[in-house]
Amino acid sequence: MVKHLIIVCRTQGRFLTGGMLTDREIHRYSRQIAFIGEEGQERLKAAHVVLAGAGGLGCPAAIYLAVAGVGRLTIIDSDQVEMTNLNRQILHWEQDIGRNKTVSAREKLEAMNPDLIIEDVCEVITGQNASILIGQAGLIIDALDNFPARYALNLAALERGIPCIHGAVSGYDGHITTVIPGETACLQCIFPDPPGGSEFPIMGTTAGIIGLMQAQEAIKFLTGGGTLLKNRLLIWDGRDSSVSFLDLERDPECRACGGRTQGPGIKRGES
Amino acid sequence: MKITVRAFARFREVVGDVTALDLPEGSGLPALLADLASRSDESRDLMFDEQGTIREHIIFMVNRKRVARSTLDTIILAEGDEVAIYPPVAGG
Repeated sequence: MVKHLIIVCRTQGRFLTGGMLTDREIHRYSRQIAFIGEEGQERLKAAHVVLAGAGGLGCPAAIYLAVAGVGRLTIIDSDQVEMTNLNRQILHWEQDIGRNKTVSAREKLEAMNPDLIIEDVCEVITGQNASILIGQAGLIIDALDNFPARYALNLAALERGIPCIHGAVSGYDGHITTVIPGETACLQCIFPDPPGGSEFPIMGTTAGIIGLMQAQEAIKFLTGGGTLLKNRLLIWDGRDSSVSFLDLERDPECRACGGRTQGPGIKRGES
Repeated sequence: MKITVRAFARFREVVGDVTALDLPEGSGLPALLADLASRSDESRDLMFDEQGTIREHIIFMVNRKRVARSTLDTIILAEGDEVAIYPPVAGG
């Protein structure tokens, strides 16, 4: 019981749920509890993760976060399901064409794991609303499909001191990095100028690989295991299944975070 | 002088697995890019816009240090330098 009290104190009111696992949960997650322990599972249950985007990256990331037992997921996306989404956006099916992606995603995720709180927010992420939309979440998954929205999300995450796991894909190419406000390079440090083009060719498998890497990075962050992709850009090249890394560093002149000296002291497993 | 090039994503696809370039002593980063761009129209289009300016979103790193856009034209390379070129992807 003492252990649970400590976890509640650490979260500082960021979460709606959390605390002791039920017998059902201990059974359901037994194969991963054997790996991350009950404390790790409790941290997942206590976590609130925002999924920005319910598309090619967001769908696989959401599925694995949901079945892993992340207690509260907020899914933000303004789009409706289209036929051309179905090669990669695996939470959306033919029957969902024309429906809001957030609702389509929430229904599937609730069916996969009814123990979670899943919120759907059908909004475009902008500089005006990003901070309100991410609220007091403990972690953000940037699974968006355009840089204007990604920049707005990055800025809001910096302002609120919320870590953000960024991923992007095109064709067989993908990349991922983890941004910790005040500690690592932010999205604007890494990509000061947005890539050109508005619609990128995407193999569904590439989005699946990077989306799952984002989900795994989130689980590592929330449970405190492994080494995060801090100040490292992982580049996936699906042509030959190779992984490369670019070392990153903060840009003191960065338009988004250059003036910020110190983050709010984020510690892993206490998001 | 020998310069090692690490090309990623579309660059790797278009330019190929370039691992080493032989450039004249004192060459700068623009000379290296011009060499790579001369290999095909596709390669040139990937690196330069219609005005012949290096595309702004491309990430360049020399010896694993990010090159700021403002210093791109002034970087002089040296024997054994490693240049990484990455055109970021954006889709999701």
